Amino acid sequence: MTRDAIKNLILEIIEDIDEDADFDSLQSDKPLRDQLDLDSMDFLDIVMELRKRHKLQIPEEDYPELATLDSCVNYLEPLLADA
Amino acid sequence: MHTPLLIIGGGLSGLAAALRFARFIPDVLLLEGHSRVGGLNSYYYRNSRLFETGLHAITNYADPKEKNAPLNRLLRQLKIKRKELALHQQNQSEIHFLDRQSLLFSNDFNLLEDEINQKFPASFAGFQKLLALITAYDPFKTEFFISAKQVIQHHLQDSLLTDMLLCPLMYYGSSIENDMDFGQFVIMFRAIFLEGMFRPSGTIKDLLEILLTHYKGYGGQIRTKASVAKIIYDNKTVKGVVLGSGEEISCDYMLTTIGSEETFKLLGKPSGMKKLPRLGFVETIFELPPKAELERARDRTIIFYNKAKKFSYQQPRELIDVNSGVICMPQNFQNLPPTSFTEVRTTHLASYKLWKELKNDPDSYNRAKENAAHSSLPVAEKILGNFAQNIVYRDTFTPLTIERFTGKKNGAIYGNPVKIKDGNIGFDNLFLAGTDQGFLGIVGSMLSGVSIINQHILPRL
Repeated sequence: MTRDAIKNLILEIIEDIDEDADFDSLQSDKPLRDQLDLDSMDFLDIVMELRKRHKLQIPEEDYPELATLDSCVNYLEPLLADA
Repeated sequence: MHTPLLIIGGGLSGLAAALRFARFIPDVLLLEGHSRVGGLNSYYYRNSRLFETGLHAITNYADPKEKNAPLNRLLRQLKIKRKELALHQQNQSEIHFLDRQSLLFSNDFNLLEDEINQKFPASFAGFQKLLALITAYDPFKTEFFISAKQVIQHHLQDSLLTDMLLCPLMYYGSSIENDMDFGQFVIMFRAIFLEGMFRPSGTIKDLLEILLTHYKGYGGQIRTKASVAKIIYDNKTVKGVVLGSGEEISCDYMLTTIGSEETFKLLGKPSGMKKLPRLGFVETIFELPPKAELERARDRTIIFYNKAKKFSYQQPRELIDVNSGVICMPQNFQNLPPTSFTEVRTTHLASYKLWKELKNDPDSYNRAKENAAHSSLPVAEKILGNFAQNIVYRDTFTPLTIERFTGKKNGAIYGNPVKIKDGNIGFDNLFLAGTDQGFLGIVGSMLSGVSIINQHILPRL
């Protein structure tokens, strides 16, 4: 999966969690949670959707890697290389 | 049979937990001992119609735009659309201390503030300070008991107002006598006064069916009439359960929603928990013809009343104590579709011990039920206006009824006075959710199931 495809995947998952999420002003290097009104419960949905859709097992200690859109892409790129 | 996750108890916390989990991993089995799901919030058929149990009003109302409000978080977590539920807000409710004072409140918090300002002007500044404290307080952080009564009294300097504010919050969720933990008070204050009350347009049966349909749609499994006889464990790891039928089911993780003591009983292990008195209730449903008028309380949704000199919330020395209680008119929500009946529901504190003594004598037990309804009627009529002549049907449930159908120890609807907030009961793979975790009400208990699944189970499977 390309970096753009991974980015779109994350945005698609977020849109699925909150259909009113506003992506226009989203800064990819700033924490998603602060910008999108996501709480830790919503955040877990991202992890679980990645697992469901791509059989990715993300260990709890790696959750901080998913904090921003950029860090998500960096972290997921090698894991989704063959996807 | 083997399942990765086994959930004991098909009440709202168990159902929500199961649904939350099944959204991502369908391999979950929910066991319910009764023939219907819902636990305390269920239904039965009598006199050829459906009667709801438990549900008076759902607390924690929130507008759709309040994304972080408990109700909206819950719906997001379960991927249920608000539209599916068709929510109706309360008209207005009242705290009525007879011959003393009355406070109205609704889902618009300004009403309660205005009422307090008008009727307790000397306490208003203190109330504002209390409110600031409630808004800023994190009820999940403190681990020791802080007396809500003392904190409120300290701010308001008026014991009548203190009792009036405590009365609805105690009746709608306190498992301890004559006081509340301040954290619990904050949760209940937000749920009832700051957020407010509502109900769906359908019955509790419709709500339960929505949850079940979603759950089964994800592939989740459920078994009713499947009572658990024993939980099998080795040291700190549970292995599975033995059902009443003798069947064994093994699992990797287990969630119990049936209560802490009730769970330790299945483990065959002492809980080591302090035994405090549990609070029982008697509820009577008076059915009246459709559109029956209640002259003094036409639009009221719920009335929390007290007629004693001093408000007390404790296990009574008699079968039932009608000095205080809750009167609910379930049809009085905004824009509800018309029903073929009007209901008045009264709830009072009751003594489980005294009801239990009548258990083996059906005549005395039935007579006591009649008497309970008869003693509740005059006070309800004093508040609502006369309606006894219009009663077409009546039914009463006692702490024994609740114990029989829900398995709640002593029929105590708010469970063990000692709460286990983190859901940890000393096992690596068995966790507790529901009433004894400390979240109350329909939204609260469902969030309890969801949050324990999120916290302890989903990240590990």
